[in-house]
Amino acid sequence: MTKRQILTRRRLRACTVMVFVIFGLFGARLFQIQGLDASAYAAASVKAGTATKADPAPRGAILDRNGEQLATSVDGLTITADPSMTAANAPQIARILRQELGDSVDYFDTIDRLRTPDSRFVYLVRDVPKWTADKAIAALAKAELTGVFSEKENLRSYPGGKLAANLLGYTNGAGKGVAGLEQEYNTILTGKDGSSTYEVSPTGQRIPMADSTVTKMVPGQDVKTTIDRDLQWYADQRLADAVRDSSSDWGLAITMDVKTCQIVQMSQAPTFDADTRTGMDDANTVSRAVQNVYEPGSVMKTITMAALADQGKIEADTPIVVPSSLTIDKFRIGDYWEHGTLHLTAAGVIALSSNLGTIVASEQMSDQTMYDYFRKFGFGQESGVNLPGESKGILTNGQDWTKANHATIAFGQGVSVTAMQMMRAVGAIANAGKMCEPTVVSGTVDQDGNETPVESAAGHRVVSKDAAATVTRMMEAVTADDGTAPAAAIKGYRVAGKTGTAWRVDPTTGRYIRGQNTVSFMGFAPADNPRFLTYIVLDKPYSSAGGGSTAAPVFHDVMSMALERFGVAPSGSESPKVNQTW
Amino acid sequence: MSSMVARAFAPAPRRIEEAKAAGLRLVRPVRSRARKAPFVVVVLTVLAIGLVGLIIMSTVLQAQSFEAAKLDRQAAALETEQQSIAREVDRLQSPANVASKAIAIGMVPNANPAFLRLSDGRVLGEPEPAEPGSNIRSVTR
Repeated sequence: MTKRQILTRRRLRACTVMVFVIFGLFGARLFQIQGLDASAYAAASVKAGTATKADPAPRGAILDRNGEQLATSVDGLTITADPSMTAANAPQIARILRQELGDSVDYFDTIDRLRTPDSRFVYLVRDVPKWTADKAIAALAKAELTGVFSEKENLRSYPGGKLAANLLGYTNGAGKGVAGLEQEYNTILTGKDGSSTYEVSPTGQRIPMADSTVTKMVPGQDVKTTIDRDLQWYADQRLADAVRDSSSDWGLAITMDVKTCQIVQMSQAPTFDADTRTGMDDANTVSRAVQNVYEPGSVMKTITMAALADQGKIEADTPIVVPSSLTIDKFRIGDYWEHGTLHLTAAGVIALSSNLGTIVASEQMSDQTMYDYFRKFGFGQESGVNLPGESKGILTNGQDWTKANHATIAFGQGVSVTAMQMMRAVGAIANAGKMCEPTVVSGTVDQDGNETPVESAAGHRVVSKDAAATVTRMMEAVTADDGTAPAAAIKGYRVAGKTGTAWRVDPTTGRYIRGQNTVSFMGFAPADNPRFLTYIVLDKPYSSAGGGSTAAPVFHDVMSMALERFGVAPSGSESPKVNQTW
Repeated sequence: MSSMVARAFAPAPRRIEEAKAAGLRLVRPVRSRARKAPFVVVVLTVLAIGLVGLIIMSTVLQAQSFEAAKLDRQAAALETEQQSIAREVDRLQSPANVASKAIAIGMVPNANPAFLRLSDGRVLGEPEPAEPGSNIRSVTR
């Protein structure tokens, strides 16, 4: 072997060793990265090289029966600031915000916030529609004022303002429905948020053709109500006027299609404006139609009469001897007018709203029978309307009734109800004895416009057709010229109705308060082929107000508008004449 | 023919003399004279086309991604504008707004429903003039 060959061989060996050492180092590092803390490195790399963009699902709209929007979602912004950047220019920034955003910005308050010491984040204005917020941000950028930022929000908008506010409910700051339909149908209205994750360059530019994952956003579905927007507005307005004129604490007006049990308007006054978020205290936001219990008073006499008529124990012209007063369990009961012994027909008892006449008639049935009928009419049970926080009312068990209980429950005292329960019960009389559950939602509409109807329970019979007709005839006498509520009569139509003037219970003492009443009027038309049932309740009006004088005119206007809007023409037939006395 | 076959299968000549005797002689190794230039040109062209193609493609993609971002922003701005206009329309056609305009020009809501049946010209219900100040007098918001 020559010297040269030996040298070459050494060099080769040295090179081989070097190659092994270098690859060994690489191998060790590779093992460390891939073998020992692979997941940590992978996570760090994903974090550095990917960006995620949220794609919030818009909340579905709430529509009226004709598809008009009652509640809808729009893009909104919340404007925030970094006081360490804005303190110096606070007055200029506040002035621009005030100019662009108007009354939602308080100038001095905003200056204080912009100057918050030792803070790097303050909220300036929440929930501003994006188009106005964009303008304000652009104006600030133009004036070269820095330190004001914006965050995207999903804003709930109620184009009608106060329209049907208590039925629609509202959403909380996180966009979740917390009252009314917004709460009841929250899962349907809320869609599924989507997101897209993609690889970005270190400067944040999206890398084309690189991996990206997209979670599809599913928008919320629309909820279609049975409300007629224009009728709802009219009732809202008419009721608000009535509540104000009669100095009532609150008022309710509900109209239901008796054939389908669809609620076509449901008004409450005073109410709130969820669009501007004004008037949102508990007394305004409570949905009184389902959450407020009260004693209904004389409207309940229709149920007592229906129970008696169903047993064949009464007809419209059944003679009843009405005493001047009755003392039951040491409790003296009279009528709202002083009288001696009267000879009234059953229709007369209803037309003149005689408590004593109703008691005399109701004594033909036992406590248990009467209780069973009241249960059949749905008292003491939820109305099935599917609205949150519904009360069942209070109907004590028939076995525990005293004589006084039997007497007073017959004319609607000593029993607590919700307005929706009253609607359902009297709705059964209007619907020829068949009772159905009131509904406010007819279906849901997905993003492609496919409507899925909401199932509603089939109606069931509670009293016979004849019994319903008998009570209807009695109720027609109420709106006659010599009844208690001629103001409820609608010219050209046959209107059946019943007034109610109930003593109010003081919730703290549980006793009746002298001079404080809940006045109401419940009626349906046309009486010969009932289509709509309307209920007006006014709580604690001025002391001389009565159902016939205060609630009946509201009933007249709201019912007329309902008949007109739905094109319900009168048949032209005359109300049968029934004698009130014998 | 048979002699050729015999020759072909004959054992390889052991010595030069034998080879010569068999008619074989040494020749110079054949030197490849294939020209390199066309091959180089082809390779370089393919490389160049590939590179230029890549550059063009990534430029186009980048440009399109900027364009997409721009269009995204434009779409968002238009959507915002659409929302603001839709809200204005909603506000203008809300019953409260229509009613207050109607009342302002002296119209009165009719609370006496009556219908004209077109088939025979009969009036259903009892029409009454709607008096000013009856039912709704003003619109509260």
